[in-house]
Amino acid sequence: MNALVLPVVLPLLTAFLLQPAGRLSAALARWAGPAVLLVCAGLLVQIALLTGGEPVTAAIGGFAPPVGIVFYADALALLMAIAVPVSALLLWPRAEAGEAGVRQSALMLLLVGSGTGMALSGDLFNLYVFYELLTVASFGLASATGTGRAYVATVRYVLVSGFGSLIALAGIALLYAQTGSLNLAQLADLAPERLANPLGLAAFACLLIGFGVKAELFPVNNWVPDLYACAGKPISALLAGVVSKLAVLVLLRLTVLVFDSPEAREMLMVLGLAGLVTGELAAWRARDLPRLLAYSSIGQLGLLFVALSLPGPAGLAAALAVALHHLLVKPALFMLAERWHGSLDKLAGAGRASPLAAGLFTLFALSLVGVPPLPGFWAKLLVLLELARGAGPFDLTALALVLAVTVVEAHYLFRLVGILYSPGEFRDRHSPRALAVAGLGGAVLVAAMLTLPAVSDALAGLASQAADTAAYRTLTLGGGL
Amino acid sequence: MDMTFAPDPLALLVIGALGLIVVGAAGLAFGRHLFRLVLALGLAEAGANLLLVIAGYRWDAVAPILTGSAPAAMVDPVPQALVLTAIVIGVGVQALAVALLVRVKLAYGTLDLAELKALVERDIRAAAGIGEPDSAQAPATLPGPAGLIGERP
Repeated sequence: MNALVLPVVLPLLTAFLLQPAGRLSAALARWAGPAVLLVCAGLLVQIALLTGGEPVTAAIGGFAPPVGIVFYADALALLMAIAVPVSALLLWPRAEAGEAGVRQSALMLLLVGSGTGMALSGDLFNLYVFYELLTVASFGLASATGTGRAYVATVRYVLVSGFGSLIALAGIALLYAQTGSLNLAQLADLAPERLANPLGLAAFACLLIGFGVKAELFPVNNWVPDLYACAGKPISALLAGVVSKLAVLVLLRLTVLVFDSPEAREMLMVLGLAGLVTGELAAWRARDLPRLLAYSSIGQLGLLFVALSLPGPAGLAAALAVALHHLLVKPALFMLAERWHGSLDKLAGAGRASPLAAGLFTLFALSLVGVPPLPGFWAKLLVLLELARGAGPFDLTALALVLAVTVVEAHYLFRLVGILYSPGEFRDRHSPRALAVAGLGGAVLVAAMLTLPAVSDALAGLASQAADTAAYRTLTLGGGL
Repeated sequence: MDMTFAPDPLALLVIGALGLIVVGAAGLAFGRHLFRLVLALGLAEAGANLLLVIAGYRWDAVAPILTGSAPAAMVDPVPQALVLTAIVIGVGVQALAVALLVRVKLAYGTLDLAELKALVERDIRAAAGIGEPDSAQAPATLPGPAGLIGERP
């Protein structure tokens, strides 16, 4: 299935051709990016339909793995790969005239190409390179507003990301020294004898910190609040939505395939809990909407890591539920924050000025907290049920913490809903595009609620396929083309 | 039994590489000047690259280049290829960081991290229309009487 490489190659190629194309025709430079993204999304959907969700592989350049690089596309990878161009299309930066607009388009295309590569690649170093490329593209996009504070926030982001990258590189070096391979499938084969030792665990810790930067993992997430407050809201939505999930997908593959040990799971759970508690408490104290959303995003991803630490397909299903819910809700919320960026107290009256936006915000808030019929409730319930099933002292502590933090989350979100609907002077209305994106998120959320049995079946299918390490190994190393 | 102290040279190199990473990380954690932070990042990156090269190194082998003569034992070429990629990425990121530092200096006239944090916090608050900082969130260096008076949330 060599068409798999096209959704990675096309955006990268277009990104570099965009600058010369801009000299020829402004319209070409403006529409080439979205057009290529549409083609990529269409290609990926077609691949998904052709394979019917069965995993396929592509050996790059015809070099059979484990020597060559391999792309592995199961249903989960394809879903994430489709989410990248679709999110980028929805959150495409507002068209700027001239050079600046062309540069932003090129960066968006780089981000999409490398993001799709991260979803599909089955080689650890290849993943690292795509991750770096995506990171660099996001630096440019984050600082594109051109304000001094955006530059400072971006510099801090660069420093934290750079540190994360070099730690990930050290992890890769440790892994390579132990096993002599960086192909995920071969690593999975070698892991029981070569990586079940302290060095293996150290390698996992390094990779966790490295890829955790984008996933807003606890000790390396201090860049998040300032960046989301200073960067353009579509970019924040993109980073908090799909980019963080791509990093989570890499960590998911690593935990499932290579580091499937209780110690690694404990590490994930402790860091996840720390992120959950600190994020939600900071969100409770936040006084403007962008930073409230940034902190709550840290908290939500903490919950995701707690879910990721749960063993078996059921734990994986819980993690995927939390991840997909966050992927849907957080970008929509950031788009609503585009106009509601001021102090929380000044938002009084916003409910009357734009009833649709306030209604959508309420819907998302209810779902984030986990009010029963909404998908957020079922996602949280899956995590809690799995924690209760584990029933170790760790699991029960986590269970209590998740419940306690939910109270905090409910308090700050409902307080904000109350402010929106209280009488006040706020008159600013949303751009049609922001409302459309948020409305689309809300519509998908409601659709998922109405078709819950089908969604939960699909989720269970995704999880059991992603947890099937034997299939990954035979298919990848069998050299299927 | 030979009791003389003869450390494995490879182990020494590993310790050196880890040391570089630790020194760089300490610089990142405790530095106050942004340019020094970038330099610390470069130092730590050198350590990570060295670690990667060592992962495939053998003392008794030659460089992995086919010369046509009898093939001797070769050093593992994969980590060297990887490290080359990593170096290129590192240089690019550092150049970008320095370019951003120039912009920061032009915007705020300082590269001191604590001062910048306070200035950015002030700017974000001003843009959001939030008045006085409350004590827990306010950076200690923020000047002015605004933090002393005013209501708590």
